[in-house]
Amino acid sequence: MRRAVCSRAMIARDAELAVETVENDPVPTRIRASGEWTFAGLKTRREEILRTLDDLRRIPPSRVAWDLTPIADLDDIGALWLARALRGVGQLEASVQQREILDRVAQGSRVRIAMEHPIDPYAPVVAIGEAALHFGAHLRDATALLGRVVLEAGALARRPRDTPLRELSASVYRAGVAALPVTMLVGFLVGIVLTYLSALQLKRYGADLLVINIVGVGVVRELGPMLASIIAAGRSGSAMTAQLGVMRVTEEIEALQVMGVSIITRLVLPKVIALAIALPLVAFCTDLAALAGALLVSRFTLGIPPQAFLEALPRAVEPVNFWIGIGKSGAFGFAVAFVACHYGLKVLPNTDSLAAGVTRSVVASITCVIILDAIFAIVLRNVG
Amino acid sequence: MSADPTEYAIEVEGLVNAVGRGQVLHQNLNLKVRRDEVITLIGGSGSGKTQLLRVILGLKHPVAGSVRVFSVSWYDPSLKKVRDARRRMGTLFQNGALFSALTVFDNVAFPLRERGGVSEKKIRAIVHAKLAEVELAPHQGTLLPANLSGGMVKRVALARALALAPDLLILDEPTAGLDPDRSERFVQLIKRLRADHRFAVFMVTHDRDTLYALTDRVAVLGDRHIIACGTQEEVRKLPHPFVQSFFGGERGRALAQGEAAA
Repeated sequence: MRRAVCSRAMIARDAELAVETVENDPVPTRIRASGEWTFAGLKTRREEILRTLDDLRRIPPSRVAWDLTPIADLDDIGALWLARALRGVGQLEASVQQREILDRVAQGSRVRIAMEHPIDPYAPVVAIGEAALHFGAHLRDATALLGRVVLEAGALARRPRDTPLRELSASVYRAGVAALPVTMLVGFLVGIVLTYLSALQLKRYGADLLVINIVGVGVVRELGPMLASIIAAGRSGSAMTAQLGVMRVTEEIEALQVMGVSIITRLVLPKVIALAIALPLVAFCTDLAALAGALLVSRFTLGIPPQAFLEALPRAVEPVNFWIGIGKSGAFGFAVAFVACHYGLKVLPNTDSLAAGVTRSVVASITCVIILDAIFAIVLRNVG
Repeated sequence: MSADPTEYAIEVEGLVNAVGRGQVLHQNLNLKVRRDEVITLIGGSGSGKTQLLRVILGLKHPVAGSVRVFSVSWYDPSLKKVRDARRRMGTLFQNGALFSALTVFDNVAFPLRERGGVSEKKIRAIVHAKLAEVELAPHQGTLLPANLSGGMVKRVALARALALAPDLLILDEPTAGLDPDRSERFVQLIKRLRADHRFAVFMVTHDRDTLYALTDRVAVLGDRHIIACGTQEEVRKLPHPFVQSFFGGERGRALAQGEAAA
């Protein structure tokens, strides 16, 4: 029973148009609109009504008389449909409310706003120029931030008591210990893949044992630090940017500044130092995992016993390679955290800017790591 | 903190402030806040109240002119002077700006810990005293800001602003977003705290009730500068359209009469 009442109330009476022609009259076409001229009411017989309205357009409007009084309900959509057809009609019968709605809608549809961005033939050139200027501004701001970080680090060295140790240790834990499982897993798998591929090639020349040289140097000097820092950029870098960005959105950064707390000492330095400490350790563990993968594959595909692998490893890989790898990861950690903080502090107080900031931060820090790696490779080409 | 009675809490002189692409918001703006008064900044929407507040708080560089709080410019080369001035000032942001990662207790303790020189035990005592002052129970100290109601956020933020017993309290829309009953109680709270601690107050508000209840002087921001600064009676006589509509509305007159009768 209850349901029946409900459903009857829900059903809208569809909008209807009745056209009638009277001979020998100055206004021969009579149109009666009835039913609900609302979004819901117009839905079912949309096509039919549109066709009728189209047909009516062929008759000069002065020879048409409209009667809107039977309409049960009129909303903005219905009024918009009617307003177009009603332009300049000979006779119109409508209630005061209906006329008001029609006037309002007609006014709204008369508003013309000039196109805000007219098509500019030089747009691509302008875009390139703007991109360059943006890049320049980023470079300038990053340099300023680097200067401030160095200055505040110097100030901190003079009064070590002010070091935010809690933030520092929390960041080392979050960026280091918490990242170990995923980084080591990736390292292990990459070690397996790399060894397997090299083994396939080396087997043909009977140079099986060289796999230890290739994988050993590759992992310790390049892959370990790179994997660790790329995962750190995705994991910790994005988190740092998001944290600083949200603090900007919630005005926490302003609150700190107003209290006279240095944002650099409090928020940027702990992150930068923590990642520069944590990443070499993570890279070391990644090295271990990758070498374990290599050891496993060499045992099963090349038949090199684990003992032989471990004995050959120190001879194949000079220790300096290891230290280069560790040193590089420290630099990568600094770069990732620094880029993340730079983008985090540039976030404007809106969600769009936050999302864009995090994306750019991850992309820029990975790019930065790869550029740094290329520089290291060239500078240290004669070492190890 | 020694307080020189002739010292101004805030001095703004010849301020020129611009936003975006050189759109001048303030031109030759002067404003002085005395050491012991409550002054309210009012102005139409878009007149740059928030921007002026940001400049006074040192969050925005003015184009020209000087802003000094307790005779110290935020851009003073002596970091110690700036820090000391900062510690004599407490700020209540419109949305509280509580540190969302810290509990209520840690939020209030933050400025104390940051200043240093006080043992954790004393900090705990001070924080609980401040929480009691803003009518929060000690067990609420363990809540995180996300679990607080709007009124509680404001009260915690007030407790944090007052943690260092400041000589100047800056309030940005202190009663915005509170229902009339809550905002009335919040105003009473500030009034009572002021009776106990005698700090100067600089506030921005739209709420006439707050204004009538607290203010000694009113500063009106319009046409890019302070067009009037005086007691409510003096300012009310000003023939400026904004002042007339602000004080002249039905509600404003009724309130003013109620005040006079009381």
